[in-house]
Amino acid sequence: MLLQLVKKDFLIVKKYILLMLAVCIIFPVFLIWSAPENAGILGFVLMTVFSIFMLLQYVSLKETQYPKASTLLCALPISRKYVVLSKYIFCILIYFACCLIFGIESFLFPQLRFVKFEIPVFLFLAVSLVLGVYLPLQYKLGYEKTKLFFIVLIMASPFVFAQSLKMKYSLDESLLWQEYRVIMLAGSFIISVLVLLVSSAISIRIYKEADLS
Amino acid sequence: MENILEVKGLNKTYRNFSLQDVSFSLPEGCITGFIGINGAGKTTTLRSILALTPKASGEIRIFGMDMATNEKEIKQRLGIVLDDGGFYDELSLTEMKDMVASAYKSWDENEYKKYLDRFFLNPKQRINTLSKGMRMKYALALALSHKAELLIMDEPTSGLDPLIRCQLLEILKEFMEKGGRGVFFSTHITSDLDKIADMLVMIDSGRIIFQQDKDILLDSYRIVKGDRKDFNTNIEKLFMNVNQTAFGFTAITKRVDEVRKAMPDSIMERPAIEDIMICNIKGEKKCYCN
Repeated sequence: MLLQLVKKDFLIVKKYILLMLAVCIIFPVFLIWSAPENAGILGFVLMTVFSIFMLLQYVSLKETQYPKASTLLCALPISRKYVVLSKYIFCILIYFACCLIFGIESFLFPQLRFVKFEIPVFLFLAVSLVLGVYLPLQYKLGYEKTKLFFIVLIMASPFVFAQSLKMKYSLDESLLWQEYRVIMLAGSFIISVLVLLVSSAISIRIYKEADLS
Repeated sequence: MENILEVKGLNKTYRNFSLQDVSFSLPEGCITGFIGINGAGKTTTLRSILALTPKASGEIRIFGMDMATNEKEIKQRLGIVLDDGGFYDELSLTEMKDMVASAYKSWDENEYKKYLDRFFLNPKQRINTLSKGMRMKYALALALSHKAELLIMDEPTSGLDPLIRCQLLEILKEFMEKGGRGVFFSTHITSDLDKIADMLVMIDSGRIIFQQDKDILLDSYRIVKGDRKDFNTNIEKLFMNVNQTAFGFTAITKRVDEVRKAMPDSIMERPAIEDIMICNIKGEKKCYCN
């Protein structure tokens, strides 16, 4: 049942998925030509962030267009918990799909191979933190009221990215990072999972009390 | 007959509207029409029954089980049809069906295919290409393909042409033929209920006005037509809804014997459900057009 709900999210935005897939394939290759020094990291981070949040926005838009569809789902013997969890799984699957696409591209284009293992882990943490706040807010306030959050996120992402790049270079040189690299990576991953678990529990609680009209 | 659905003391408050102590029950083997004008509280009541909206207080029991504690088990045995279907228009019929079917333990794929064939629905067709009538038929195919015992429908006939409404009523009759089942459907198109309902529940301004067997209800009211000279304040007390013209008056009464005695020359006609519904609406919303 959960699988069907996730599948439904992909199906209702299938047009945009094809579009984002094309962007994910073309964007890093384009960066090899336009910004070769940071093509790998820039390409991976931006394509992942945009794919997740753009597709999530399109799903939310569709749910807003057809409010009776979610009412019907909850009128069936489908737990509201699964309806919420499917959104989180949808985002996580897009993240892994982006990792996979970028991995294949790195294999084909050696210029993209500057992305080390820690970038996907830290990006997963960043995505988890943003989703962890955004999804419960969206369940509480609705799509219309939280659209602004998404616009701010998209506008701020280049600045946050530039700042994160600086932090990454200083982290690379720090002794702490060199000594405890594995622990820090494992810690980041565990924090990401915990954030998603707590966030989904909050979203489920909010959605269970929602008035579906 | 056992009650298939029981609602007791249901209360729910919104800023401008509230359900007040809504109580009624549906006996097994009956098609029950839930009538009321737009905004009377039909949809809110149905959504409270289906646990789609939190209630302030009250008890809902379906198949003898409490909805608050047995929601999943109860919903396995319900067939749901919402106004306009409640589908994702981007999906094909098969894609939507896959999602709905995954929720039911007793989904019958053969039954579903039979309904699609009967309604001339193409499983590959996208939902946004279906007409309103086809959407309703598709909604019925989904609601009837998992051996549902109680069919709950919210305004199923709204916006449908007479032929499709007639076909829908036929399907409901077939559904009831198997026995031990029930249909509860809300509508403001009462002519459909004239043909098919066994029981009627009326709601107005969030309160239940009556619950009664349709034939007994229709038998207890009469439309009275008489001369204006016979009309006076004493007579007026016997009527519920009076429309006076220069030549005469038309009214509805529940006090048939008293009217017959007081106005032996008046003409009495059996009312339609709509006439009874309108005369039971409180306050300024009344329409004196009978």
